[in-house]
Amino acid sequence: MSDESGWSLTESDPAVFTALLQSLGCSTLIVDDLWTLDDPELLASLQPIHALIFLFKWIGGGEEEEGGELKGGGRYDEDFPGFFAHQVVNNACATIAVLNGVFNVPSVPMGADLTMLREFSAGMDPLMSGYSITNSAPVRNAHNALSSTANSPFSIDPSLHDQNEKEDAYHFVVYVPVAGQLYELDGLRRAPVAHGGWEGGEGWLDVARRTIQKRIGSYPPGSLHFSLLAVRTDNLPGMEAQLGKARAAGEEGVASDLAARIYTEKSKRAQWEFENALRRHNHVGLIHSLLLGLAKAGGLDSAVGKARQKMSERREKAAKSGAAMEE
Amino acid sequence: MLSFKAGRCNRRGETNWVDPTPTKGLITLETSAEDGLLHFSWKNRETGATDEDLILFPSEAAFVKVDSITGGRVFVLKFSSSDQRYFFWMQNADTSRDDYYVFNVNGLLEDPSFVPADPPAPVLSVASTSAAPAPAAPPAGPSQPSEEQLRLLRELVQSATASAGTAAGPDLALTDVITPQTLEPLFARPDLLHAIFPNLPADLPGERNADTLREVIQSSAFKASLRGLQQALSTGLLSNLVVSLGLPPEAGTGVGPFLRAISEQAQTSLEEAEGGDERMETD
Repeated sequence: MSDESGWSLTESDPAVFTALLQSLGCSTLIVDDLWTLDDPELLASLQPIHALIFLFKWIGGGEEEEGGELKGGGRYDEDFPGFFAHQVVNNACATIAVLNGVFNVPSVPMGADLTMLREFSAGMDPLMSGYSITNSAPVRNAHNALSSTANSPFSIDPSLHDQNEKEDAYHFVVYVPVAGQLYELDGLRRAPVAHGGWEGGEGWLDVARRTIQKRIGSYPPGSLHFSLLAVRTDNLPGMEAQLGKARAAGEEGVASDLAARIYTEKSKRAQWEFENALRRHNHVGLIHSLLLGLAKAGGLDSAVGKARQKMSERREKAAKSGAAMEE
Repeated sequence: MLSFKAGRCNRRGETNWVDPTPTKGLITLETSAEDGLLHFSWKNRETGATDEDLILFPSEAAFVKVDSITGGRVFVLKFSSSDQRYFFWMQNADTSRDDYYVFNVNGLLEDPSFVPADPPAPVLSVASTSAAPAPAAPPAGPSQPSEEQLRLLRELVQSATASAGTAAGPDLALTDVITPQTLEPLFARPDLLHAIFPNLPADLPGERNADTLREVIQSSAFKASLRGLQQALSTGLLSNLVVSLGLPPEAGTGVGPFLRAISEQAQTSLEEAEGGDERMETD
């Protein structure tokens, strides 16, 4: 089910982001989970990283920001030279975030629709840029293609989704280097936030690491659910070329190491393909054939009985914890 | 003491479907000399063992015909204070006595000091499908079913026709019905799995096997579809969609009807494969 704007709920998953960008012509980009910023070797293996997407859900009461102070530091920069779009539609928040990142990466190949969109919004204020993205049919269609709710024959109440996977429950912030400064692009803030430059042996990622850690630290411990994604250049073609060279040069050690990394990377992509194929699929026929097959195998009644039992156990548990809370 | 030939039926899970088992048995009601209480027992006439022995207090239970099972002589021992149900089917070849046995059982269940009425002499010609049996003479003793029996009967009819779920919410989740554990009986049947693989996405990478199915049913996309289907079914408006799956339109009126119709669909296709059902013998 989409909201009135026609944007459906999707999951905030590297597989979804990658497929979205690829379908819009960004053939060299992938989006990956970034488990930590503290591992220099890991970061090196993922380079070049163009932007970071920090998605988080704050579980706690009260206002997130007090007294106009920017959580995580930095200062508003109304003269930001790059692309910045406001989040206008809730269901589109992940796509807006990823475009806020990608449109600020120099010389990245993209399809005709994205190129036109970026040109069209040049010089617009953030609100109009946000509307441009939201009203772009190609972008909206690419986004909805990966939404399992959009691909289902039913209109589904979005509140059915796993609470943890609900895209609109998460807030998206992009960290990207522009003109020598680290910028934080938050579609719900009035302007980009500048966090300063870097010098010496540092790179923008070091500034990003400090900034993000400061941000995380500004919340009470345990109150923040978050995830970090890296928008980076796909290194698979590069690794395969290197493998060819290493083999030709007889460097067996290097070759086998590369082969192992390539294998791991390809397995991950196959897993993404698997998940995305399921997102695009209408499962009704599969559900029916599974239940019918189970009935023929004599197991449907037992399954139904167990399911009823689980549900009544859940109710009991909920009733008990509800009672406990009242005490 | 009251005894009559009856077999047991197995109930299919929590549904209102029962499958008669052919084992020859005997229902007996008698007050035990030991504890002075009324015992409702079922004896296995083939092994001689008493496989079921229930102690029943007055008005605790009733023995009622299951009307929704047409053509069968199925009865249920139903309890007023719990959801327990025991299903039986009459094994006496002479159907004309059924009403008497039921009447007497209920008389005893309400009050163990009840004196069972004598049944009429057995009808010599066994009731056939073409002619209805001769109506039985009215029994001696109280001729009206008691209030208690009427109330229990009403409850049984209601529960047989009620759809799944209460005002408080659904009583099951489809995501609990389809899990790697519950699907084990299906995964053990490669002959049945073949019919399922064509329903997977054509562009799904990997082999078509039970492991792939396990992965698929645990994926977020599949679970979201299950939740969507459940929600759509509970609107009761999915008749068109279920007909396209070969199910009757009633299967689109709720989760319970949907699952029951699939159960029937499986039964029908199994019977077509076997070419007939088991014979239930009476003697």
